[in-house]
Amino acid sequence: MTTGSWLLLTAGVLLMFSLGWTAWTLTRLRRLAGRVRRAWVVLDAALLRRAELAVAIAATCAAELGRPAADDLAAAAAGARSPAAGDREAAENALGRELRRVPNAMLPSGAEDADVRVGLARRFYNDAVRDTRALRRRRLSRLLRLHARRPWPRYFDIDDGQDAVVGAHAGDGRPAG
Amino acid sequence: MRIGLVCPYRWDVPGGVQYHVRDLAETLRGMDHHVEVLTPAEREEFLPEHVTFSGRAVPVPYNGSMAGVQFGLVSAARARRWLREGHFDVVHVHEPASVSLSLLVCMIARGPIVATFHAATTRSKVLAALGPWARPWLERINGRIAVSDFARRVQVEHLGGDAVVIPNGVHVPAFATGPSLPGHRRGAQAPTIGFLGRYDEPRKGLPVLLDAMRSVVADHPTVQLLVAGRGDPDELEALVGEDLRPHVTLLGELTEADKTAFLRSVDVYCAPNLMGESFGVVLVEAMAAGAPVVASDLDAFTRVLEDGAAGLLVRRGDPADLATGLSALLADPDRRAGLSAVGARVAAGYDWSVVARRILAVYETVALPGGGAVTASTDENGALLGPTPSAQRDDATSGPFRRRVRR
Repeated sequence: MTTGSWLLLTAGVLLMFSLGWTAWTLTRLRRLAGRVRRAWVVLDAALLRRAELAVAIAATCAAELGRPAADDLAAAAAGARSPAAGDREAAENALGRELRRVPNAMLPSGAEDADVRVGLARRFYNDAVRDTRALRRRRLSRLLRLHARRPWPRYFDIDDGQDAVVGAHAGDGRPAG
Repeated sequence: MRIGLVCPYRWDVPGGVQYHVRDLAETLRGMDHHVEVLTPAEREEFLPEHVTFSGRAVPVPYNGSMAGVQFGLVSAARARRWLREGHFDVVHVHEPASVSLSLLVCMIARGPIVATFHAATTRSKVLAALGPWARPWLERINGRIAVSDFARRVQVEHLGGDAVVIPNGVHVPAFATGPSLPGHRRGAQAPTIGFLGRYDEPRKGLPVLLDAMRSVVADHPTVQLLVAGRGDPDELEALVGEDLRPHVTLLGELTEADKTAFLRSVDVYCAPNLMGESFGVVLVEAMAAGAPVVASDLDAFTRVLEDGAAGLLVRRGDPADLATGLSALLADPDRRAGLSAVGARVAAGYDWSVVARRILAVYETVALPGGGAVTASTDENGALLGPTPSAQRDDATSGPFRRRVRR
């Protein structure tokens, strides 16, 4: 074969390969977008549940907590429940701080579980975001502008007392990794 | 909840992952969940109820025993059928980052997938090599669990994902109550020290313990060291030497029941390991059996013993430090009772009922309410499931390759 046909063949093979790769990567990106969306639904529900618990605590334990503390808790819960307030992470952090101030004896039975669920959901959500970002940052994905118009997924970073989830025991705050 | 567990290693071969899957399945069933297991095995007939045969595994030597690797069209077809008939709310695969049934299920399943990483040091090399290739399928996993901080670190470094740490479970009640070994009773005249593990492996640290014993014997002339585990008795004989011979008893390999009795019989349990422990289940078992623990200060042990609150930590590989610790503990029954009480409390946190509840929380986090069950991909190759599954050793790449093109 002549040099020309060799070149043509190589170009053809390369084209086929890049088409296949693009299709495959688009599938992966679509699937990851679904994963991020589902993880967010779960995280959102877990956060709302925690906020509702905080409202309940503020209402039922107002006397034990004292007026200013109960009001602060109710305000933080309200802030976390209205996403229109802007910075959701800051609002959730404020709620988390207020909740940690509540003495353990006053927490209802589901409180610890709600905290653990928030920790799990946040971790799985960030995991999905990390996987998506890793794939979208690949050189070829960027070059071909795959999903370039989709919003860049954001991590959700709050201080959720995650040692209870990460470590074998609560209060074990050694950094891992 | 309907849960599908996937064990990548042969069910009929003893191993940590297999035990984990078996115990998790039993515990979850006890909590009224429907649990099915998919696993390779040597013979289909010997599998218990609710355990589905995925095919014979190609044996690969791994970590001293034979682990099964299974990857082919017939396995894929069996996995597909299992997923389709199971209607699982969540599928939980174990050790998916290797060429295994677990990775295969990750490729096929559509829906919530949870994965547990049980890392061992030898494995991380495989993981480093395979990680990037398995990534497209591993990124379908919705929730990742690591059994220890070490496993989590391996996972973070090689696969670039995070994981929730949920430790291995232990059947605490099975260790807490029961008979002692005949002839040995805790608190008897002659104090006993227990060692469990492959005694001919230097990294398990028996030579250090024997060195330490020479000083301990000077303080406590009646002390007995009980050695349980696999190994070459003649080698041990040579290692012990004349001076220690009356103080060392070799029990050999113990059955599960004898092991619990052994841990209940010793006055002190000693884990002088030098390295390479990812988690240290045996420490939890010893604590569950009420034995005060003396262990070397490996990261994993330090964590299980809560920085020395639940057991005595000594410098690894230092016979003098170990001897001091052992002698002091043997001379102080109150301290032993205290450690034993704290140990029992710590061990309770590792009981399967607690661990399974934490795993269940992960399931509930990934499985959206009303989000639908796990299904299999649409590819149909049920024809391969004819009466004679002869295509077992199919070209290993054909499965994933086909999938890559189809979608």
